[in-house]
Amino acid sequence: MYVCICKGITDKQIKQMVLEQGVGSIRELKQQLDIASQCGTCAKLTQQVIDNTIIDESLFKDVG
Amino acid sequence: MKSNTEIVAMLNKVLTSELTSINQYFLHARIYKNWGFSQLNDKCYKKSILDMKQADKLIERILFLEGLPNLQQLGQLSIGEETPEMLNCDYHFQLTQRTTIQQAIALCESQQDYVSRDMLSDILEGEEEHIDWIETQQYQLEQLGLEKYLQAQL
Ligand code: FES
Repeated sequence: MYVCICKGITDKQIKQMVLEQGVGSIRELKQQLDIASQCGTCAKLTQQVIDNTIIDESLFKDVG
Repeated sequence: MKSNTEIVAMLNKVLTSELTSINQYFLHARIYKNWGFSQLNDKCYKKSILDMKQADKLIERILFLEGLPNLQQLGQLSIGEETPEMLNCDYHFQLTQRTTIQQAIALCESQQDYVSRDMLSDILEGEEEHIDWIETQQYQLEQLGLEKYLQAQL
């Protein structure tokens, strides 16, 4: 789904940045994507997507 | 007619939700239209118009209660990238909105504002009907598979 409507950025793009670039915060993400730069409404959801991706990733590591 | 600020604030909260809904369904409708799924376009377009009518009722009621309807505030839109995700986004939006309206109804009831309560009940009825419609779509998607489901939406 679209997380940032202003810039048309999806949850998949954010997840990819977390998994491939090791992004861990909105500040780090902003260096890769032009997110939360217009109205800012998406900041909360962006943080959630980052957090959930990190949690998912670490769960998989434990299992593996 | 002066009413307490709590009720006006709550009605404004429902208004924000409806204003968000207008835009979410309008955009989803036109995304479907762009893909040629006219059934889904029609449904979402009509839902958006219904939300507009509901927003109108809320605006008039808030003015009647001598409050200021907040048309500036808008919630976050949840826009999907493909049909099942779009339905899912709408579904979760509807469930959150339903809770908001229920809280508003409970408040109006406790403050004995029965006219606002009845208006909100009407709105809730419309929203629940749409929840039911989405559930039907999700069931059909599961039973028919994505391809056949989408074929029926042309
Ligand atoms: S939705 Fe991301 S900046 Fe507006």
